[in-house]
Amino acid sequence: MSAPFQRHRLTPWILMAPQLGIVLVFFFWPALQAIEQAFYVEDAFGLSREFAGFANFQAVLSDKAYYQALGTTLIFSLAVALGAMSIALLLAVMADRVIRGARIYRTLLVWPYAVAPAVAGVLWLFLFDPTLGLISGLLGNIGIGWDHKLNGVQALALVIMASVWKQMSYNFVFFLAALQALPKSLLEAAAIDRAGPWRRFWTITFPLLSPTAFFLLVMNSVYAFFETFGTIDTVTSGGPGGATTTLVYKVYQDGFVGQDMGASAAQSVLLMALVGGLTWFQFRYLERKVQY
Amino acid sequence: MATLRLNGIRKRYPNGITALHDIDLDVVDGELIVVVGPSGCGKSTLLRTLAGLEAISDGELTINGRRVNELEPAERDIAMVFQNYALYPHMSVAGNMGYALKNRGMPKDEIRRRVAATAELLGLSELLERRPRQLSGGQRQRVAMGRAIVREPQVFLFDEPLSNLDAKLRVQMRLEIRRLQKRLGVTSVYVTHDQVEAMTLADRLVVMNAGRVEQCGTPMALYEQPATLFVASFLGSPAMNFLPVTVHRDGVVLPNGTQLALALPVAMPEGRVTNLGVRPEHLVEAASRPDTAAVLDVTVEMLEPLGADMLAYTRLSGLEEWLVVRLDGAHAAHEGQRLSLTFSLADCHVFDADGRRVSMTEGAAAKAQACQ
Repeated sequence: MSAPFQRHRLTPWILMAPQLGIVLVFFFWPALQAIEQAFYVEDAFGLSREFAGFANFQAVLSDKAYYQALGTTLIFSLAVALGAMSIALLLAVMADRVIRGARIYRTLLVWPYAVAPAVAGVLWLFLFDPTLGLISGLLGNIGIGWDHKLNGVQALALVIMASVWKQMSYNFVFFLAALQALPKSLLEAAAIDRAGPWRRFWTITFPLLSPTAFFLLVMNSVYAFFETFGTIDTVTSGGPGGATTTLVYKVYQDGFVGQDMGASAAQSVLLMALVGGLTWFQFRYLERKVQY
Repeated sequence: MATLRLNGIRKRYPNGITALHDIDLDVVDGELIVVVGPSGCGKSTLLRTLAGLEAISDGELTINGRRVNELEPAERDIAMVFQNYALYPHMSVAGNMGYALKNRGMPKDEIRRRVAATAELLGLSELLERRPRQLSGGQRQRVAMGRAIVREPQVFLFDEPLSNLDAKLRVQMRLEIRRLQKRLGVTSVYVTHDQVEAMTLADRLVVMNAGRVEQCGTPMALYEQPATLFVASFLGSPAMNFLPVTVHRDGVVLPNGTQLALALPVAMPEGRVTNLGVRPEHLVEAASRPDTAAVLDVTVEMLEPLGADMLAYTRLSGLEEWLVVRLDGAHAAHEGQRLSLTFSLADCHVFDADGRRVSMTEGAAAKAQACQ
């Protein structure tokens, strides 16, 4: 016998239809198109196309620039995820201890998340502009020449900083919520059990935050892979010399600037597979360690 | 082995609320002190100031004669069992029990040996590898106890440790705690709101109300000689009956005008309003005491058969509250029945208008307040 509500077979579908429609039209359809496109070579005007088998993939995988972009992406993603998470955790721990004016601090710390990626990029661009920038000027005063338009390492550092700054707020909100949900009595018990503040943090607080940290690691990886496009585009446009060209930026460059639709589609299929594999790996191996 | 001395302990919060007013208490070595009171009376705050989780605003706290006011919880050598157990969810039972020892830098073998010995004592040996979420409520409670015991601290603090257990387990664990505490001989302070738990566990009982100690002494002393109306009404289940009476030339007068020929233990001026307290078990049928002069005519409104006893909730005209009577379990009372009740003067407690006992000798009154 089924419960009465289960008899309404149609209602759940009607309720889900708008969301399903959006996902189908804006996610699955383009994704399938990209996969299809990856197997064709198209002329620059999009007037004709020819089935090419795995030729697009072969071309991409034998291109040195692709491996450079892969390397850049891995360094960039790791730095962004770790940077954004550790700074956010530090800020959350400090904000959690604040009693007076706590809400003001929290609001201020959440603000960067409301800034559009391109705007964030422009802010950092101005701060570090080789000729006009405030911070580059200060760095020049202490003898560090800053020119991210010529120096690839500095350019990468700059987009990492901008991306970390932007993502930090998101992580902060989650870490703070997790910290405030920790039962106070656990930390009190640990204090009585002769654990000092430092030990309490590493043996009690940190392990108990690990489910949150895992969730954020997945979200930050996805963010670093895909959503930093706007920041990179405004700050460095992938340069100098491809030093800040991440995989997703290369997809855009080859496809929309270079008009090589086939190669671009092949890259995005590879990127999808890469992120899918990474997420699977995280769930398979890391999530086990964070259960308690 | 430790003695604990509280000297004028006061706790004031920054918002001006005073949670504890000048608490004085001496706990001798190996004693189990139970602090009992209604919620919000300050008993948990008191325990937390002993633990060092709350700062002491005024007064002095010493353990073995050493002032510990300024010491961190870790430096006081105390162990605490929390109401929600506060077990570390990401550690095994063994990890939970060994945590404090590990923090102390004890060698691994020694930790393992002591954890195993404590687990044996509490019947937890089979569960050492489990996580807290895989344990039942009673087992968790035991682990929390084990975590305190394994450290061999100077003082045990218990913060309502049984209130999350079901009734049957609570009785069982109550006995267990009593047995362990006697066996280990560790000085303990136990906080509860359950007066039965308090009566059964305590060497000495401290009754608190609104941040003050109302009375302190052995459970039976408090039961038999409550120093205040509050203590009298708090201890005992069902609670003591109170009759508001007016002192009269030949005894007292009830609100309904009935005159009782009672010689009050202390001479009081005529017309003074006092409270006469009589416990339910001390009210008996007048027929069994032909010589009595104090007879209360009541009507039975409700009956609660408990097996061995029968509680009768009766109505005395002119009195707002029920008069509760503990009858024999086999009593043939029925609802609506009229009963004539009496009590002996020796069993009644007289309290003046501000709630103080008037029938108490001066020496006993001083002793009740001092908590020493």
